[in-house]
Amino acid sequence: MRIPLVRRVLEANDLIAAELRAGFEKAGLFAVNVMGSPGAGKTSLIEQTVEHTGSRLRIGVIEGDIATSLDADRIARFGVPVVQINTGGACHLDAAMVRKALDRLEVSGLGVLLIENVGNLVCPAQFDLGEACKVVVCSLPEGDDKVLKYPAIFSLASAVVLNKLDLLEHLKFDLSGFRRHLGELNPDAVLLEVSCVSGEGLERWMEWLERGARNARQSGGR
Amino acid sequence: MHELAATQSILSLALDEAAKAGAASITKVSLRVGEWSTIEPDCVRFCFDVLAKGTPAEGAELAVELVPVRYECEACGLHYTPADGGFSCPGCSGRRGKLVSGRELYVDSIEVRHAHTARSKSSRGK
Repeated sequence: MRIPLVRRVLEANDLIAAELRAGFEKAGLFAVNVMGSPGAGKTSLIEQTVEHTGSRLRIGVIEGDIATSLDADRIARFGVPVVQINTGGACHLDAAMVRKALDRLEVSGLGVLLIENVGNLVCPAQFDLGEACKVVVCSLPEGDDKVLKYPAIFSLASAVVLNKLDLLEHLKFDLSGFRRHLGELNPDAVLLEVSCVSGEGLERWMEWLERGARNARQSGGR
Repeated sequence: MHELAATQSILSLALDEAAKAGAASITKVSLRVGEWSTIEPDCVRFCFDVLAKGTPAEGAELAVELVPVRYECEACGLHYTPADGGFSCPGCSGRRGKLVSGRELYVDSIEVRHAHTARSKSSRGK
């Protein structure tokens, strides 16, 4: 006997994510899922962000890593609320991990929640964390073919941060090709070309974040 | 590499539905897996065989229907699968397309046996 189901494999995750999303929206909080490969500069981007706008945008941070609290320690130096999740081997964060981390993070009063995912361009794409936006951080040394090779994750991004722009003159990186591929794959994604070392382009990234925070606040419960 | 967790979900969904239907065993589980679902079907098969041992789904066939990535061109409406090395429309070279399929990851259906027919089930290979 055949029984039709049509049930999502990750429905358990999606249910928790929906609950988180409703909570974030009600609180007027702009939650961002920051994804990208190891070494792309996700933590550096968050450091720059909290250093320059941490208190103005009232940023809180969740750091996801397989092991260590190195990233949370880097962020804590800036005096913003931060919680480290250690996945203990899992290649991505899931909604249940984020919900658990929120037990240790007071979100009332926050305007932005940056959730740094485990460094990986594959698995995090599949797991909804209840965020308002997904951001992919990638960097010049990784090569200009990443959009073609990992289309699933880039196709989901509201914004793509291309980091380490200061290395452009030292690398054979086809910047116009990268722009074209991203534009074709995901025409709605905002491309932000930055350097966390020189500071170039970071202003546009922070404007993007601030706009998101403003929209979340205005449509939120207060 | 989260196929083990995904397979665990697939198995619990299947067992849950089979129990609701009062079935004794599951003979087939059919999945729809999008090309961009980040799930590797062969890996799911391997995990399924391991996890299903000792459950009513032991020995069940796992059928995977792969759903290709399809875009719909905003300019001319053509549905197309992007070629390697680009995502533009092969019809009009339009560069704004919307993903219409390829992210699916769900259990489509299961096939079950009830107790009175379950006895005929012989031990089968993978």
